[in-house]
Parts: sequence; C-alpha cells; structure tokens
Amino acid sequence: KMLSKERRSSQKQMHSHESWSLSPEELEIWDRLYRIKESDGIKEPVLPQVQFETIENLEETPKPEEGAAQELSLSEWSLWQNQPLPTSLVDHSDRCHLFIAAMEMMELMRHQQGDCSYERELRPHLRMEDVDIPGNQRHLSTANPP
Amino acid sequence: QRLKAAVHYTVGCLCQEVEEDKDVQFSKQSIAAISEITFRQCEIFAKDLEMFARHAKRTTVNTEDVKLLARRSNSLLKYITQKSEELASSNMEQKEKKKKKSSAVKGGRAPGEQEASVTENEDSSMA
Repeated sequence: KMLSKERRSSQKQMHSHESWSLSPEELEIWDRLYRIKESDGIKEPVLPQVQFETIENLEETPKPEEGAAQELSLSEWSLWQNQPLPTSLVDHSDRCHLFIAAMEMMELMRHQQGDCSYERELRPHLRMEDVDIPGNQRHLSTANPP
Repeated sequence: QRLKAAVHYTVGCLCQEVEEDKDVQFSKQSIAAISEITFRQCEIFAKDLEMFARHAKRTTVNTEDVKLLARRSNSLLKYITQKSEELASSNMEQKEKKKKKSSAVKGGRAPGEQEASVTENEDSSMA
C-alpha cells in the first residue's frame, strides 16, 4: 500500500533531523495524509473539559466555534463497559476494574424496582457510632436506631 | 460490611443534601452505586497515598500526599488546598486553646472541636 511506503521512507529520514518539530518532508506527509481539512467533511475531535458542579471551575478554555468540533464521548457506549475490553500491551488498571465493576453493578440494578438489594444486604451491618453526620438530618430508612 | 454500611449511610445523607439543594431525586439504586464506587475508590486512594508518602521517603501520609490525589484538576486542587489551610489554622487555634486550658482547668476538648475536624476530613475524602 501507498501508506506503508510513505512510512518507510519517513523512517529512513528520521536520523537526518534532530529538532523536535517535523521536517519539511514529514510536514508534507502529515498535511497530505493525516491533517483534517475542511474538505474532509469531518469534525476535529476534542476531549470534553473537566467541569465541577459543586466547586468553582478555574479551567476556562475558549470553546471552538459551535459545530466545528466533535466532542469525544465517554458515555455514549456505556452498555459496552460492563466487561473488560481487550488489551494489547497495557493491562487494565485497578481504577479501570473499579469502573467495570460499577458498570456491571448498575446493569444488574437497572431492573430493580423501589427496594434495593445493596441496601438490604448492608442494613444489618450499620452501626450509628461509625457515622458522623452534622446537623439534624432526616434518617434514611436504612437507619435502625440502636 | 460494617464499613460499607457506614459509607452507604453517609453517601445517602450527602445525596439528600444535594436533593434539597438542587431539587433532584436520587433513586436508591443510584445511591447504592455511588456508595460502592466511593468504597472502592478509597482502596485506590489508600494505595496512592501510601506510594506518594513512600516516594518522599516517609511512612506517614501527610496533607501534601492528599493534595497529589487532586492534581488532575486545578479547581479541585485549589479547593483541597484551601480546606487544608483552614484545617491547619484551626489546628493551630486548638493548640493555643490547649495551652491556655492546661494552665487553667484539666478538661477535655471544647464541644464541637472534634466534630469540626472530622467533618472537614470527610469533605476532602469525599471529593
């Protein structure tokens, strides 16, 4: 294929330039093969910005003009997330396993109506001396007064 | 299980605050899911904190390690740092009070002091 020939030739030139930026040849290849142009009819992919609901947000980045970018979604395919997906060289982390387990748990609870099995299971283990809630809170139905 | 139950109860209370504040409703299932994630996230936090302390050749986890947990977001880091400073200054006050107290009457803490510090700790662990 055309592409692999290009790659080989660019690797040959690798040693010839030692700056951090692309060489003119590499720039030409990037521009022709990889760069997203208006004529491509696809949007520039961008990652969503961190936003907190409960604390002041400092990260204010100028948004690209509406419709020019495709925000990459982390939730669109949530139904696929309740099992570990294949890996190549990097194993799944503990954090990742936590996420998978949580998605699996939510999948199992999706069809529950009203009463919650998680709550039923834990209710007998609750000791009021373990929890520290300031103020006069309405106790949840989980609370069995000692 | 006992720990999970305590986390679940606390998450329930916090969710209730949010419900009143934002006028939304949490299903019992969503509260259960948040509790489970919180519980597991604590394992991850604990491992990280241990590593951060060890990285600094310490065996005691301190507030600098906790700040590192919040490093991925400037907003969160600012919030945690603020809380940490508040905590430090209230600790200083307590020490001052204790000095004064020990010279006067032998007694326990003033009521409310202990609760205040616990709640703040909880805030930072829930973030």
